[in-house]
Amino acid sequence: MRADESSVLPRPASPMANVPAAESVLTPAVVRASARTARRRPRWSLARKQAAFGIAIIVPTLAVLAIFRFLPMVQALYLSLTAYDLVHPPRFVGLANFASLLHDPLFLKSARVSLTYVLFSVVPVLPLSLGLAVLFNQSVFVKNLLRSAIFMPVVMPAVVMAVVWTFMYQQDGVINTLLGFLGIEPIPWLRSSATALWAVILIGIWRATPYYMVIFLAGLQAIPADYYDAAKIDGASRWGTFRYITLPLLKPTMLLVIVMNVIVAMKVFAVPMIMTGGGPADSTRVLPLFIYQTAFEFFDMGRAAAMSVFLFAGVMVFSFIQVRLFTRGDESR
Amino acid sequence: MTGVVQGRDRTPMRNAPRRSVRSLRRHRARLIVTGVLAAIACVTLLPFYWMLSSSLKTMETMFSLPIQWLPWPPNWMSYVLAWQAQDFTRYFLNSGFVAVAITLSNLLLCSLAGYSLTKFHYRGRGVTFLAVLSTMMLPLEVTMVPLFLIIKRLDWANTYQGLIVPFLVDGFGVFLMRQYMMSIPRDLIDSARIDGASELRIFWTIVLPLAKPALVALAVFTFREAWDMYIWPLIIITKDSLRTLPLGISLFMSSYGTSWDQLMAIAVLGTLPMILLFFFLQRAFIQGIAATGLKE
Repeated sequence: MRADESSVLPRPASPMANVPAAESVLTPAVVRASARTARRRPRWSLARKQAAFGIAIIVPTLAVLAIFRFLPMVQALYLSLTAYDLVHPPRFVGLANFASLLHDPLFLKSARVSLTYVLFSVVPVLPLSLGLAVLFNQSVFVKNLLRSAIFMPVVMPAVVMAVVWTFMYQQDGVINTLLGFLGIEPIPWLRSSATALWAVILIGIWRATPYYMVIFLAGLQAIPADYYDAAKIDGASRWGTFRYITLPLLKPTMLLVIVMNVIVAMKVFAVPMIMTGGGPADSTRVLPLFIYQTAFEFFDMGRAAAMSVFLFAGVMVFSFIQVRLFTRGDESR
Repeated sequence: MTGVVQGRDRTPMRNAPRRSVRSLRRHRARLIVTGVLAAIACVTLLPFYWMLSSSLKTMETMFSLPIQWLPWPPNWMSYVLAWQAQDFTRYFLNSGFVAVAITLSNLLLCSLAGYSLTKFHYRGRGVTFLAVLSTMMLPLEVTMVPLFLIIKRLDWANTYQGLIVPFLVDGFGVFLMRQYMMSIPRDLIDSARIDGASELRIFWTIVLPLAKPALVALAVFTFREAWDMYIWPLIIITKDSLRTLPLGISLFMSSYGTSWDQLMAIAVLGTLPMILLFFFLQRAFIQGIAATGLKE
């Protein structure tokens, strides 16, 4: 906005001689206008200088992002139209990669695994993290200690998590032992294609829940206490307060949590890579893992790029909502 | 709170017993909530506890029943053996160096970009911000194949710059700093300008100190991500001397797959820096995450 003003207002040819003339007329409008030019004139080059500084300090960021984010994306689109094995130069094949992917049972299976992972790691996390946040918003003994304890999974590196849970999922591991106390037969967690994906999903939930709990807590604490006081005066029940005050006001936070969670879930890699390598029987080969294997184990770069484009399409839908959420309210500024 | 409740109550005589019942009930509710949360905390902490206790067991007692909750005497040898099995000192230093470098550069570049996007006026600022934001749509998992080709062409495979440079700045970090810097009053900056301070000086001595809470949150957030990074080093690093800790751990897992005592020892050591960071910078840690949910 200001940029437009400055380009219209100070015609550079407004010499000092103008000023006394304006003073001699002295209608309020003229005084204001001359004051503005007087204020503007020295600032004109200054504003330029400032703008230049403002641009200069964002250039490094833009350069890094252009080279290491946008350029690869453009290249991914190009590569997806080629056959490329890192040895021979890329050969243009049109949409052949996409066409063959859509008929590749392994790819379709991988897409299905990813969707299952996303769906079942996002849906339970929402009520769990919201529930925890609501509980922490009550008065609780040793609140900080408990909150730190429940937050701990966020602190564990993904690779460590994969190693530790692999150990716990062993046939004679601690999880089966604990389940044995409840009279449940040992489950072949990572060795059976029927359970492996669920085992991986469980870890995702364990990791994600405290993370989004923190976001929900921030959302809850942003709700003005007046609303609750008013509800109390009106004699609202606890459930009614939650249902008609808390939930509606948390809606943006909820949307954000869902979107972020979906994006994170679509990108899951380290845990299935280390725990199962995609097996058994491809049951945990999520899309990023399949892309990695296609590119760096089978050196089929074109095909991997085509898969990336599919993954990108999936991520983009949700990222778009996220960006919209992040920029919402900016118009008013 | 209680005042309101009393006010509604018309019969003062019943006030006293009612209140005590109420407070008892509240007390009980508080105990129940605490109990539920404590139970959940046990679930979230179980892997940590199991990792620690198993690292101190021997392979003989590892799977013994009944469960040995407190391994005694502790088997410290697993730590020594694991540490010596591979060059973990090197992996730790590599990870630390890479994570610190990425964090420092993000602190500088994200705050500069955030400052530019909030306190300067130039054509295309809005578009620039959108472009930065849209990089969040391009996760590494999508761009890793061409990014690998770029790094290969630069001859940066198996180098530190290959690990660091693509992550010098991050769209989310810019977003975070921008949001925070919007709250810094422009008057402060303008009056410094009138005092004749140079733009860089203003940034360094006025803007950065004011943005400290956001910087700490960003630092913790970025460090955690960088320390955690797995897929990228897996792609571009094949030389042992450049392996980061996650690579070292996963390699250790595939070559010593059943030495659970040593694996858990390495797992403990790999988590330790993050736990320390968490305990010293707990508020920043949580604020960094909470900030991802804030839009204002």
